[in-house]
Amino acid sequence: MATSARFYDGETAQVHDVSVRTAANELVIFRLADAGILARWPIGELVVLGDVQHEVTPPIARKGAEARLVVDDPELRRQLASLVPQLAPLAGTRVPPVRRIAAFGATFAVLIGLFWLAVDYGTEYAAPLLPYSLQVKLGESVFEELTADKDECHGKAGMRALNDLANRLAKAADYPHEIAVHVMEGGPVNAFTLPGGILVFYSDLFDQAKDSAQVAGVMAHEIGHVVHYHPMKGVVRQYGIDLLVKLVSGGYTDLLGSLASGGNVLLALRNGRAFERDADSTGVALLEKLEIRADGIASFFEQMLAKEPKDAAAIAGIWSSHPPTAERIDATRRPSTGRPAFTDAEWKAIRNVCK
Amino acid sequence: MTTTSPWGQAATPASPAAAMAAATTEPDLTPSRPRYDGKLGELYVIYLRHLVLMLATLGWSRFWGRTRIRRYLWNHFAILGDRFEYRGRGIELMVGFLLALLMLAGWGGLMYLVWIYVFHERPLASFGLFDIFSLSVALIGFPLAYVGHYAGLRYRLSRTRWRGIRCGLAGSAWRYGGLATFLTFANAVTGQLLTPLVSVNLARPRITNTRFGSLPFVFAGSAGDIYARYTAYYFLNIIAWVVAAVIFFTAIGGAVGGLGLDFTEDEIRKVLTRPSLRIILLVAALAIGLYIIFSLLILPLRCWWQAYLFRYLVSHSRAGNVLFATAISTRQMWGFLVLNYLIIVLTLGLGWPWVMHRTLRLISAELWLYGAPDGASIRQPTDLGPRYGEGLLDMFDVSGV
Ligand SMILES: [Zn+2]
Repeated sequence: MATSARFYDGETAQVHDVSVRTAANELVIFRLADAGILARWPIGELVVLGDVQHEVTPPIARKGAEARLVVDDPELRRQLASLVPQLAPLAGTRVPPVRRIAAFGATFAVLIGLFWLAVDYGTEYAAPLLPYSLQVKLGESVFEELTADKDECHGKAGMRALNDLANRLAKAADYPHEIAVHVMEGGPVNAFTLPGGILVFYSDLFDQAKDSAQVAGVMAHEIGHVVHYHPMKGVVRQYGIDLLVKLVSGGYTDLLGSLASGGNVLLALRNGRAFERDADSTGVALLEKLEIRADGIASFFEQMLAKEPKDAAAIAGIWSSHPPTAERIDATRRPSTGRPAFTDAEWKAIRNVCK
Repeated sequence: MTTTSPWGQAATPASPAAAMAAATTEPDLTPSRPRYDGKLGELYVIYLRHLVLMLATLGWSRFWGRTRIRRYLWNHFAILGDRFEYRGRGIELMVGFLLALLMLAGWGGLMYLVWIYVFHERPLASFGLFDIFSLSVALIGFPLAYVGHYAGLRYRLSRTRWRGIRCGLAGSAWRYGGLATFLTFANAVTGQLLTPLVSVNLARPRITNTRFGSLPFVFAGSAGDIYARYTAYYFLNIIAWVVAAVIFFTAIGGAVGGLGLDFTEDEIRKVLTRPSLRIILLVAALAIGLYIIFSLLILPLRCWWQAYLFRYLVSHSRAGNVLFATAISTRQMWGFLVLNYLIIVLTLGLGWPWVMHRTLRLISAELWLYGAPDGASIRQPTDLGPRYGEGLLDMFDVSGV
């Protein structure tokens, strides 16, 4: 006995074995058992809930009513679909999934590629265009976050000398904004750049530098990051990748986790290998343009390399992601000619900036 | 135009049914299982389409995508031959999401004021606005996750129909959130010794507040029943950790001794240029070892307890005269908890439909129903359920379907 259809009356949880026939402008639903009429639905008010791709047999309902008619018999479904235009969706059949999976899968892969390109493009061209005040604000908030447990040094003459060189270098690269240098007491022997032209040095760097040329070299390298907007690009790229991962995983990751993880911003500021190379070459070029001794970058790397290798890994820490390599030394090696970056008095002031 | 000719067909007498009704003094306990007849390929078509739209709309299509997936899953799941119907709408989920976002923004504004007037410009305040916001969200996020979980369940049930009748969830989500937070906290403080109490008392509101139409579910469990098993689990677990630790440290000792001898002069020179490599390898090896020991000893034990708890909760629930039971085994629980997790992680989320499919097949294989609901006495609820869905759930929960 094949029941042709079942009817849920919408008021109780009873199941009625029914069949249907179309009369003038209405659908008559009647019990199979005794032909008792259960419902008469005007054709114009019929709706099919869902479609054959998602529902096995999309239920038929009268607009706004709770009752449901589920036509199990495929032959009856076909007949209804051809007779009543409102019920046409019942006639569809499912296509075998293999080809649709291939099509959607290919589209998906292409979209990931496009998205990746967009992130790349956005990183390279759009990131520097973000309002500069926004970049500064972002940089300042990260600076506060990072240096909350450190003491900042304010030696007047030293800070003036550092800021002076930083802004000269930036101007030489036609960078249109002011650079702000900060010095934090202690280590590691390192310096880093934040969005909005914020440079941060650790005072251990001044203590361990062999000469002022090394400090100038590190500064030129950091200015290289600044004028290429590397920190901002890093942030944008990180967010793009985050978003992509989220979309690819179907959106089933929690939003709040990503909202709260300020760590992502920090991670984003880690400069990639290409950024480092750009900063190196720009730094050297800027020093040469100002006719300042440009051997500091290479000699600083050499000094790092000569020290304990373990120490180099520790220095790499969060901020500069790559330990100095022989390759970078070779690329930045310059003769020790040119004017000194700082006067003797300035260099002394810089070394005493935390005293 | 019918295939048969119903008008001509003689009405079969209704007497057999009447006779049976008179005769049955014992409850009808005919066993049945749900049936899931979804196809993984079809589910993947829907899921991949969802992913494509997600990329194209930067994620805003997810409300509609989720709704489509639910429609497919619900409608391919049937009890007593009648399929479920999911009639939620994507827009409802989106409005819910926006409302939750608005709430979060309001909270952010409040925290901003707190920061400005309480912490800012104070010498002691070494933390910024962002710290306060994340800290406060972490604090309210914990109870809110439970609230969202309950509210999300309410939304999904209210959009679920079986035999044309809507399901529902009564009770206050906030009360559930408060209860869950309190119990979880108390459990943490007492070294997880309250787990049976927590499990039963959190299952109770969810089960007894569930409605099928006018029919409430009944839960007859009590924590005392399962404490013996839990105590056994608790101490076995401690023993397993000790054993795992012993194995682990013995292995480290062996590995360190072995590795030192295994390195040749040449390799050491190589290692010296990149000193961290060896450490990285060692750490990776240790992590993998730890993971293997953990999954061999600890996880099966956990699954053993979880399977027991699940069997207990199911068999102590009923809906009217319909009883539930399951014989889900430890191995099946392992497949559900551990394997599913691994599938998701190893496929970067692409295995999600497969996990859904596996889960519904597990339910249809292992859930037994005894008896059938008395359809005539179950009425359509007057309550239409929440207008918007799952906002909080979206924010705080890695939600399932
Ligand atoms: Zn750098």
